[in-house]
Amino acid sequence: VTAGSPALPPRHGLEERLRSLTVARGITVWSLLRVLAALAATLIIFAILLQLLGSDFGTAFNAVIDSAFGNSFNIGQTLMTASLLIATGLAAAIPFRAQLWNVGGEGQMWFGAFCTIGIALTLPKGLAPGLSVAILVIASMVAGAVWGLVPGILKATINANEVITSLMMTFIAIELGNWAIDGIWPQGASNETMSVPSNTLMPNIWSGTLVTWGLPLALIAAIVAWAVMSRTKLGFEIRAVGLNPQTARMNGMSVSKVAIVTFALGGAFAGLAGSIFILGINGALPAGFPLNNFGYLGIAVALVARLSPLWIIPSAVLFAGLRVGSDGLQASTGLSTTVGQILVAVFVILLLAFRLIRFSYPEVASR
Amino acid sequence: MSPVQTLFSLGIALMVPMLFAALGELIIEKAGVLNVGIEGVMLIGAFSAAVGVNYGNGSIWVGLLIAIGSGIVCGIILALLYVRLGTDQIVTGIMFNILAFGLTTTLAVKYVHASQSSQFPDWNIPGLHSIPGIGDVLFSQDVLVYASIVIAALVWYLTRQTWFGLYSRAVSEYPRAAESAGLNVWRLRYVAVILGCVLTAVGGAELFANSGGFVAGYTNGRGFIALAIVVLARWNAFYVVAAALLFGVAQALQFEADKLGFLGDVPSHVLIALPYILVLVAVVFARGSRYPAAVGIPFRPTRSST
Repeated sequence: VTAGSPALPPRHGLEERLRSLTVARGITVWSLLRVLAALAATLIIFAILLQLLGSDFGTAFNAVIDSAFGNSFNIGQTLMTASLLIATGLAAAIPFRAQLWNVGGEGQMWFGAFCTIGIALTLPKGLAPGLSVAILVIASMVAGAVWGLVPGILKATINANEVITSLMMTFIAIELGNWAIDGIWPQGASNETMSVPSNTLMPNIWSGTLVTWGLPLALIAAIVAWAVMSRTKLGFEIRAVGLNPQTARMNGMSVSKVAIVTFALGGAFAGLAGSIFILGINGALPAGFPLNNFGYLGIAVALVARLSPLWIIPSAVLFAGLRVGSDGLQASTGLSTTVGQILVAVFVILLLAFRLIRFSYPEVASR
Repeated sequence: MSPVQTLFSLGIALMVPMLFAALGELIIEKAGVLNVGIEGVMLIGAFSAAVGVNYGNGSIWVGLLIAIGSGIVCGIILALLYVRLGTDQIVTGIMFNILAFGLTTTLAVKYVHASQSSQFPDWNIPGLHSIPGIGDVLFSQDVLVYASIVIAALVWYLTRQTWFGLYSRAVSEYPRAAESAGLNVWRLRYVAVILGCVLTAVGGAELFANSGGFVAGYTNGRGFIALAIVVLARWNAFYVVAAALLFGVAQALQFEADKLGFLGDVPSHVLIALPYILVLVAVVFARGSRYPAAVGIPFRPTRSST
């Protein structure tokens, strides 16, 4: 009986074969096929939506591609939007790595923008441009970190649900922004805050476009985040807590410390987005800006990048292209610019549904 | 009515959308699912009610019906994601909110007339309505206000006194044990998510009815406040009413402050932000409140085809 042939490995189906075909580190043909399926499904849903609203797919698709990447000026606009999304993407990615859900990047960005304007208007006029930009960028990162610390500390001390608290901080920050627009620093008739002085604006670095120092700053932020996450003890602790808080605690790591530090770091990156928006893109805080949802879209950017700081860069460019493309879509078909957000959300939900973005969970133990 | 009476009367009206959403969330969380997409469901409910009113000759009942239908659709989609596919509930919920915001804002341009609004009819309860002092405040509201209280009682009964409540408690605390005892964890969660989303969408319909027309991003965090209400109320439907009333009155303050004298000098933006600040205070206050153990964690049956 024992001398029989050993049990044969199970016959490989097509799916199994595709699963085992590895393209690059950890990426299999099967996962690539699922990404393509998600992309195709998103485009089909988009086409149906356009039919509903009475436009055709070809025109809309060309409008998006053209206004996002059609010429160097448009590419510049996409890159500047991408620099915002890189920063808000990092704001989500770092706490998410520790399975801490900082979904308040929107508010941390707003508070950063709010403080940037307030401080820029009070800085001495004669200050060298480089110095004033440096002061403001650091100040807005500190402001964002403070805003992020509130949910972080509440999580660490009383185990408050950070989703609720960080969202509430967002609504408070948006209201502060509204107050700045119509009460604290109003700009006459136009519906925005006063413009910041010209010596605080980030210098242009690509003539013929509106690309400023904001872009390299965001890239530097991504590299710093990568270095912290993969080359330092802190990054190791963050990842360890994310994988299993119990084990991390038993190995002498402080889960509370990780909660506070990741929220402060995330908030600082979101604050950077706020200062890039004010000093590098717009010069003032306009009403109606919340419609862009850059802070929330950062979550999508981070998820598509699988929370890896360097992958956030291409992911942000993709979503920025969609966002800028939506402007062109509005011009040519009259659709609201929020149509881009539908695409982003559908795409990420499909990636989640196809298990391309996954998180690990401990089994619920009996108490 | 005196300013204080007006404040409470308005507070009760503003309580209702959050109350419906919180009751829906309570049912869902009691089955072990955290629906962060509550804000989006509410927004879609409000939008659907607006569309229903628009195409139903201004009848709010058509709006309510369409809102309930949208709640069922949202519930099916979210149940598939949260339960069947086991996606992460927090990020799925946030993405669903972005989807709802984008979808309603884009579609509203074509399918909703900004000025079109419609209210639920008021009902003065005979006898009680004429009680001096509180009659005008409590018993002269629109019909959905009374309905919300009745539904709160029903939700309390459902979660505390029926087999459904007992089983869902098991499923939300220790689904593996519930499964061994022969319960179908997924089926129970499907029902809870769909039921909860219907209630949330009805809250959205009342939100639309309370104000004059549909605006982009209309819910403004009311769904998220409902998440906090459930925690503050410790998953007790009657406490949910009290907590929702607190936030309803806090929201009403921004409209009534100028008549209340002592609040006249407070900047309106502070009053608008007050409910959100209050949530943070409430979260600290409710620090002993503990989510059911399995909330937020996808469940995979032991014997499953996938």
